[in-house]
Amino acid sequence: MSRKRGSKYAAFFLLPALIMLAVFVIYPVGRTAYISFFDENGTFVGLKNYSKVLTSREIIDLSGFSRGFPLGALVHNIIWVAIHLPLTIILGLSLAVLLKGVKGGSIIKSIVFLGMVMPMIIGGVMINFMFDRNLGVVNAFLGLFGFQAKSWTVYPDSALLSLIFGSVWLWTGFSVILYSAGLETIPKDYYEAAKLDGAGPWKTFTKITIPLLKPITVVVATMTLLWELKIFDIVYVTTAGGPGGASNVMALQMYIYAFRALDFNRAAVVAVILTLFTLLVSIPLVRSVRDDER
Amino acid sequence: MKIRRVALNIFAWTIALIWIVPFVGVFMTTLRPLDELIHGWWNFDSFHPTLENFASAWNHPTAALKKGMVNSLIVAIPGTLIPLMIATMAGYGFSRYRFPLRKSFFILVVITLALPQQTIAIPIFQLMNSLNLIDSYLGLILLHSAWGLPWITFFMRNFFTTIPVAAEEAARIDGANDIVIFFKIILPVALPAIGSACALQFTWVWSDFFLALILIYSPDKLLITQRVPLMRGVYNVDWGLLSAAAIIVMIVPILIYLLLQRYYIKGMVGWSLK
Amino acid sequence: MIKKLTFLVLLVAAMGLATTLTVIGPWAGTEMDKFVPVLNEFTRQTGIDVEYKIYRAEDLMNVLPAQFLSKRAPGDVIFMWANFIREYGKKGHIIPLSDVIDSEEYLPGALDAVTADGELYGSAYTGKVKPGFWYRKSFFSEHGLKVPTSWDEFVALLEKLKNMPNLNAPIASGNGVGWPLSDVTEHFLATFGGPELTYDLIEGNILWDSHIVRNGLEKLASLISKGYFGEPTEWTMALQQWWAGDYALYFMGSWITGMVDDPNDLGVFALPGAKGVVFGADYAFVPKYTKYPDEAKRLIAWLCGREGQTVQVSQGGHVATVKGIDLANYPPVDREVAKIIQGVTALPDLDDTIGGEFQTTFWDQLKLLWVSPDRLDDVINVIQEKAPRR
Repeated sequence: MSRKRGSKYAAFFLLPALIMLAVFVIYPVGRTAYISFFDENGTFVGLKNYSKVLTSREIIDLSGFSRGFPLGALVHNIIWVAIHLPLTIILGLSLAVLLKGVKGGSIIKSIVFLGMVMPMIIGGVMINFMFDRNLGVVNAFLGLFGFQAKSWTVYPDSALLSLIFGSVWLWTGFSVILYSAGLETIPKDYYEAAKLDGAGPWKTFTKITIPLLKPITVVVATMTLLWELKIFDIVYVTTAGGPGGASNVMALQMYIYAFRALDFNRAAVVAVILTLFTLLVSIPLVRSVRDDER
Repeated sequence: MKIRRVALNIFAWTIALIWIVPFVGVFMTTLRPLDELIHGWWNFDSFHPTLENFASAWNHPTAALKKGMVNSLIVAIPGTLIPLMIATMAGYGFSRYRFPLRKSFFILVVITLALPQQTIAIPIFQLMNSLNLIDSYLGLILLHSAWGLPWITFFMRNFFTTIPVAAEEAARIDGANDIVIFFKIILPVALPAIGSACALQFTWVWSDFFLALILIYSPDKLLITQRVPLMRGVYNVDWGLLSAAAIIVMIVPILIYLLLQRYYIKGMVGWSLK
Repeated sequence: MIKKLTFLVLLVAAMGLATTLTVIGPWAGTEMDKFVPVLNEFTRQTGIDVEYKIYRAEDLMNVLPAQFLSKRAPGDVIFMWANFIREYGKKGHIIPLSDVIDSEEYLPGALDAVTADGELYGSAYTGKVKPGFWYRKSFFSEHGLKVPTSWDEFVALLEKLKNMPNLNAPIASGNGVGWPLSDVTEHFLATFGGPELTYDLIEGNILWDSHIVRNGLEKLASLISKGYFGEPTEWTMALQQWWAGDYALYFMGSWITGMVDDPNDLGVFALPGAKGVVFGADYAFVPKYTKYPDEAKRLIAWLCGREGQTVQVSQGGHVATVKGIDLANYPPVDREVAKIIQGVTALPDLDDTIGGEFQTTFWDQLKLLWVSPDRLDDVINVIQEKAPRR
């Protein structure tokens, strides 16, 4: 378990990446953070932009808890994470395990992968039509059980939820693919040893597979979380954040600030807030995979 | 045991069938005229399928998808291979070497994942403009490569932590240097992960619309994703044409995924510590 | 001999390098087929080549700010939202056109939307009229329905339609970015508040919470509560459903004449008492960073002048903003529409003119109103937040 220290080869492996990142990613990002502290005339205003944004109705709307959606873009993103993240991990892992060794498993995986591959312009329309009262499968299906049909994306209390469930369809392919790769790399020896010890499938799953997949789970969780915080395309094309802001999300609000209100400073604030959120979440996750882990 | 196998297969395929239902709606739109679908695509009272939407999309007079496909491949293939190579090396570096500020650099890499593309639109354009890379595929490729680096590095680094160092140690004792070890021992084992990262990165570069929109605008150079919205007018929207175009756009990443699946599944089905 | 040849070669080369102007517009497919003849006519008359590129306004919003900051422009004449032209004209990125465009030649108020601080930054091209509720004449005669001539008759008609078994709802509601709903709303506002109200709201002289605005909005909300409007459905689908008989009425603009199989079966009526009708014009501008400012100005003056607009309206589906075009130039169906605006005040589109965050909010809040008419007060408050203020 020894580690090489400061080998001269480290530079060879790391330098190209760090240089590209510095130029094409870090610099633009830095500039954005910079302008969040200024107003449109170029005067330094410190945290004033931040308080303006955080107290605006579009970002947090606490009265929504009594009257119904909208609750504010920030709250919506949190709800999105709370529902979508566990679903993605559980579904992704289950499907990856289920489809391992199934006949035509890669075809099924491609079907799940369809969601990742679909251009948003059609993905959004698909979700709208899927949930439409007259045109949608969801209502036809629910109708079989006697549920009243309605167009889910059009009502404030169900708009966000329909988007979230639609996005599960779209994003699960990501976790299935990464988990599949992880499953392929678990040495067969472990499974054989477990069988010799008399462990059943569930025990094998929980005591061997899940722990060994932990680093992959960290990646899936982090990437999914980030995707949920950054979600824009699908909301923009489906409901444009409506009705009445009931499905608004931070990235969409940022877009509205930047490209509709032409207020780049407030947009930069939202971008920085999103980054801070990500930091809050991802650093502990990243730390959790310590290097001396097997 | 056989029964369990069969049951499992049936269950898996049922899930697949349910999963594909939303997509069927899209598919129906490409084949059938719109007025047949107004009461739901599962309605087959009138059924007149036609493939002309696909032909129109492929040969469209102003936004032909066949040219778009070539252009997008020119961007997507390097835009996948470059970051894969660089990030796999970086991921390996982060997982095997100890050096000052290692954790911080790594966190920096992860932070860069956090930003939505829209925020950086203006700085990126100005940067590309000063490098004289506007309306050039090279600029777009570099940009996609740079933005692919964080997540691939993160994934590969985590992946490498699951691979025990025993094999590397053995090779080192035999006198091989790190670079040889990387290419001869590590890469083959990492193929499933590389394959997955490849499929995903390709999909993301292929599907990108926003960066292409800001940086590419000669009509000839437009990528395939930019051509799809050109098929819709302000008031006249031909959903059949659009859906057919979308399906053509989707086919390529799916094919790449299937290709990669066969390639790396064939090669490595679990490996053992000998 | 060599000298002559060289000269000839250079001449030919110079011709090859002749100016080509680029026009950027949002029209694609069949809409583009109607626009290209206009550009061809310009080339025929002046010998200057024109290339047409398609960019939707939303996409231009992403592209232009960055380009302007780097002193570039993707085209020489660009069609874009009026409020964008005003904003960026004020910021100095657009060439003023007062020397080539004469506002006297245009319908009163047509150029207001692109004028800022006394300078004219854009020009008005043809436009579309939003006259009222469209119906199929065959549908009305089949069910013995008559066009209402008063508000009470209108409500009675809606009640009768609601009780008909085969209809989803009397009036189809289009969903999309939001304009199908805002068009109806503006019609109600102008009818019950008078044509001046539109201008006052654009200027910010009147509050959205005021009695005169509430008058129109409350009437609209009451109709929604009674179930006379259908659930918002994607507007082109709603069009198909309305044409197939799932709905009786559909509030739409004049472009509908190009979207149905049998335009002669179309009938339209405005809300009884309406004295103003929204006329949505398309606007274009010349960016400061064009390589050919003189030729570009010449093109925009021609396009938006009587000659260009005449060619355009003869293609059908457009109505001219410039004065003095003979009605005979219009195809028969559009002639009816063109006549409508001659009898009433032609109003600018409210949300298009204000634009920006107001437009996004307005559309969004209306989508809420349509499914929760009980939230009218909330909706008014939010709209007021983003509305322009004196």
